[in-house]
Amino acid sequence: MPDGSFSHPQQRQFNPYSDNGGTILAIAGADFTVIAGDTRQSEGYSIQTRYAPKVFRLTDRAVLAVNGFAADGNMFVKKVKQRLEWYRHAHAKDMPLRAIARLIQTMLYAQRFFPYYVYNILGGIEEDGSGAVYSFDPVGSYEREACRAAGAAQSLVQPFLDNQIYFKNQAAAPNQSHPAHLPLPDVLSIVIDSFTSATERHIEVGDGLEIYVVLAKGRSAQGLEGARGIQELSTKSDGDRVFVIRRELKKD
Amino acid sequence: MSIMQYNGGSVIAMVGKDCVAIASDLRLGSQAMGISSHFEKIFPMTDRVYVGLPGLATDVTTLHHQFRYRLNMYTIKEEREIEPETFAHLVSSTLYEKRFGPYFIEPVIAGLQKTASGDFKPYIAATDLIGCLNFAKDFVVAGTASDKLFGVAEGLWEPDLEPEDLFETIAQTLLNAVDRDAYSGWGAVVYVLTKDKVIKRELKGRMD
Amino acid sequence: MDVSFAITGKGYVIVAADTTAARSIVKMKTDEDKIKVLSPHLLMAYSGEPGDTVQFAEFVERNIRLYHIRNPHGLRPQSAASWIRRTLADSLRSRRPYSVNLLLGGYDTSEHAPHLYWMDYLGTMVEVPFAAHGYGAYFALGLLDRYHDPEGSLEDGLATLRRCIDEVAKRLVVAPGQYKVKVVDKDGVREIAL
Repeated sequence: MPDGSFSHPQQRQFNPYSDNGGTILAIAGADFTVIAGDTRQSEGYSIQTRYAPKVFRLTDRAVLAVNGFAADGNMFVKKVKQRLEWYRHAHAKDMPLRAIARLIQTMLYAQRFFPYYVYNILGGIEEDGSGAVYSFDPVGSYEREACRAAGAAQSLVQPFLDNQIYFKNQAAAPNQSHPAHLPLPDVLSIVIDSFTSATERHIEVGDGLEIYVVLAKGRSAQGLEGARGIQELSTKSDGDRVFVIRRELKKD
Repeated sequence: MSIMQYNGGSVIAMVGKDCVAIASDLRLGSQAMGISSHFEKIFPMTDRVYVGLPGLATDVTTLHHQFRYRLNMYTIKEEREIEPETFAHLVSSTLYEKRFGPYFIEPVIAGLQKTASGDFKPYIAATDLIGCLNFAKDFVVAGTASDKLFGVAEGLWEPDLEPEDLFETIAQTLLNAVDRDAYSGWGAVVYVLTKDKVIKRELKGRMD
Repeated sequence: MDVSFAITGKGYVIVAADTTAARSIVKMKTDEDKIKVLSPHLLMAYSGEPGDTVQFAEFVERNIRLYHIRNPHGLRPQSAASWIRRTLADSLRSRRPYSVNLLLGGYDTSEHAPHLYWMDYLGTMVEVPFAAHGYGAYFALGLLDRYHDPEGSLEDGLATLRRCIDEVAKRLVVAPGQYKVKVVDKDGVREIAL
């Protein structure tokens, strides 16, 4: 009322969350892992930026992809990195992948009643040298898998991965079985195809693609050296190694 | 829960080289409960025009009968079989007639169109529930698994597939898409239309 | 809420429905027959909104009878089912739709085969080997998936029906006390005491 009185009950609501679109994806190989995400950040029909990374190198053997509410995602990655640094100072080594996965669970569940509105996918190399993917829900339920897609185009990409990675609905040739892990070039092709497909049919996916590749210690970079726009991010050359491949996606 | 998801079900159609394919799942549900695994949603209108009707099951039957009736009237009047494009417009106007109290169906049309030179050109189209036509050069999808179908089809489809390759492509697309959809699945059926024959295959799929 | 089941077997359809007529929490009647005999070879179990059910069932009954009088042959199960479905589908988009769910079991004397149709108030119709409506469906469909035999004898069919009824009695809080069971086969319709 103009006189400052209230003749009707008034309600106000602050919504602390928003959805910033985008999609992330990770696939584990026998001795490598590929973690990828597009770089578009949007809110509703507006694009906020065409380059906002969703995939982050944590250590030389761990990469974290974060998708959902970007502010929460960035804060969460910052806090995970901080915890990993403390671990390094205390133990003089990098935290193992399975320990990072458990750490992420505890950090997410600590916010059970005001969650980080993000879906996390952690990829990297286990201590036994195998490629691994861990996927999380916003409150910390997690699972180790061979592949996982999350985000806006999860429903477009995941069934494609079921078919191409797990060979679902495909019968193996007589007296043969499907491979448990695909070679790196095949995985890279599938990742690129997944993102070009998602870009084609989903408005919140596009602009740029960042593909992180983590190689197990001692594995040659064979199959990678030919890749266009590749860059090495690892700090040592005699341990597990991290690379990133940057590609353009359609911007419409 | 939307009316469009009450019974579940999905349909997809794809273009190949001088051939088209249309496929659907076989589930009929009542919300989460499965009622039948033999509920067909694709109907032949002529030898070269097929229509898929995903959506509310009562309207699947009603529209199938409605289309059959209108098609018979057309065939008698014109003394010739209907062409796919003409049929697509018949579907569109039938749905738009009920603009403000629609049938809850999103039809998919697949057929082979006769050209001036006498051979056949693949034709596919889909409409929304009030009859807005969508022609596509590659593939069209509809139903409760439509987003999944889009994703897989976009990854698997390529131009100029021969009938057998087109069959494999559409079958894999459908099967993998409905396996990620709780409201679709329970078996599937695929039709491949070529200039001299129609192949119908029933597929086994996950029953969960 | 009413419970009804139907099972096909070798040359027959069994249709069963509970016999309770309830208003709110009160049982008004425990011997209500909710299975109409539409013709010498056609049974219809109905359930749904009280009032609509009997009204609609009698409407169907009289129209099927009228067809019988007007024509040398009665309607076959497929045709009767189709007509009933259409009536429900038209009703759905009318000013006051009927809320009636049906199980239609019949024996086709021309092709010597049993037919069973599951139908709901929307006009959804599908031919099935077995069916159920009401809360009983949540318990029975799983059992029927496991134990139904399309080539089973009448005794097999009744044993499977017994399983369904027993499971509902054991697990459903508001389980009905009694059921009426009717069978249709080449010899026509008859009632069976379980």
